[in-house]
Amino acid sequence: MTHICPIGGGKGGSGKSFVTGSLGILLAKQGYRTLLIDIDFGAANLHTILGIPHPEKSISDFINKKVSTLEETVVPTPVPELYFISSAMNNLDITGLAHEQKMKLLRHIAKLPYEYILLDLGAGTSFNTIDFFMISNSGILVTTPEPTSIENIYRLIRSIYIRKMRQVLNVYNYKALADEAEKRFKLATTNNPEALLNIMKELDPEKGENLEKALREFHFKLVLNQLRKQDNPNTGVLICKIIERHLSLKMHFLGSISFDDRVHNSICKKMPFLDLYPYTQTTLDLRECCKNMQSLIKEKKSIFSNYR
Amino acid sequence: MKPVREHNHYELLELSPDASPLEIGRAYKKAFELYKDGSMASYSFFSREERKEIISCLEEAYLTLINPESRSEYDRKLIDLGVLEKGQQYRNKAKEPISIYDFKKEHPVMLEPNSSQTEDLKYRISKNPMIQEILTQDILTGEDLRKIRTALEVTLEKIAEVTNVRIGILKAIEEEKFELFLPIVYLKGFLKSYARCLQVDESIIINGYIKRFGTGS
Repeated sequence: MTHICPIGGGKGGSGKSFVTGSLGILLAKQGYRTLLIDIDFGAANLHTILGIPHPEKSISDFINKKVSTLEETVVPTPVPELYFISSAMNNLDITGLAHEQKMKLLRHIAKLPYEYILLDLGAGTSFNTIDFFMISNSGILVTTPEPTSIENIYRLIRSIYIRKMRQVLNVYNYKALADEAEKRFKLATTNNPEALLNIMKELDPEKGENLEKALREFHFKLVLNQLRKQDNPNTGVLICKIIERHLSLKMHFLGSISFDDRVHNSICKKMPFLDLYPYTQTTLDLRECCKNMQSLIKEKKSIFSNYR
Repeated sequence: MKPVREHNHYELLELSPDASPLEIGRAYKKAFELYKDGSMASYSFFSREERKEIISCLEEAYLTLINPESRSEYDRKLIDLGVLEKGQQYRNKAKEPISIYDFKKEHPVMLEPNSSQTEDLKYRISKNPMIQEILTQDILTGEDLRKIRTALEVTLEKIAEVTNVRIGILKAIEEEKFELFLPIVYLKGFLKSYARCLQVDESIIINGYIKRFGTGS
């Protein structure tokens, strides 16, 4: 069974590509056939982190129909069992992806034959980022212990929440709901999706319950990256608590990754950090995150099999 | 999950109903750190008004619970609403010293050193046809063991006392909760103590139950 894990997180530079590359390497080294896809079209960096400066093929080959299947854009990496679809040589005008192209890409990604597919999303909260994040219910969010990064995480989560609401209700119902909400409760705008949900439950309990069920299917995970010695190590757990308590969304904490100046060195050398510095705290933290991610996936799988 | 708005004071501070004042103070401090204006983890999540509201709810919860009178009044309200059960309230253990001579245990009737007790048990075993019948079975179930024990009017607590085997283990043996079991070596030891306590033939108990253990799990 393929596990698709989109990795995103509002702020640029929080370490999404770093975490994606590292998790990919750790999974492949355990023997799982792993595919990394760089979805950050306009600002692709994953190839640099993996140490493949000039990938021969790129995802835009598929989007522009130079090749007919997505599988043809896959390149191998120096790590056995780790494969990669790059956005390095994309055409410069690829960022404005049309809706139909996006849906086609999502469909093809879902059909690829790998055990793990990790998607490196870009920063920001544009529709494209959100839709790719929602390709699976178990996205991973990467944040740093800074107010700017945390702010963006909350923004991203709320955007996903609203987008899910829009998907579940059709346009008419959603608009009616938003208008009614604003009428009753000044603060219940789209900035306050929890309030919207409460009002929906009052107006139409059945639809409200469908909405709640759809939202409960999310199993987000959080990684706190670049934790320095002076930072509060509980920050990650507290963020998860806030989201679970006030948005009723499942948010598991995967772990904190210590800040290490040598990550900078590995990026400059264009080699994977895990290979250059295998005995650092950061590497241990990455391994711990990978372990937690795998056990959460196993837990989720066993819950489903109990329902069969 | 209930919306935070509908949480009672205990749920708001994430406390169990029998939390001590020390725990209440700590919980309030933790919550305040998370929801206060300068908190990093909750930065940008709440508007100023929302934060003010949450902090005042937390304050109210803390002040109610930290004062014993207002707390017991609040507890009574919750019990009336059916949210709290009577036994769950906080009991100030420091104010009720426990006598060391009466430490909640019933004093066990020591079965082994007292030979008249053992004779009595042996007599009862020989006279009880049900026990005799069970002992002739090839396989003994946990239920059989329990029948023997109750027929001899020995409680699990007594067996635990005398044999130093945890009640949980003895219960697991009688209820055949095989997942909890340790390797057979330990099981045999426990069964031996169990049998000796009841003055029943150890080898019959051990062999009978082990056979059951083999087929049952």
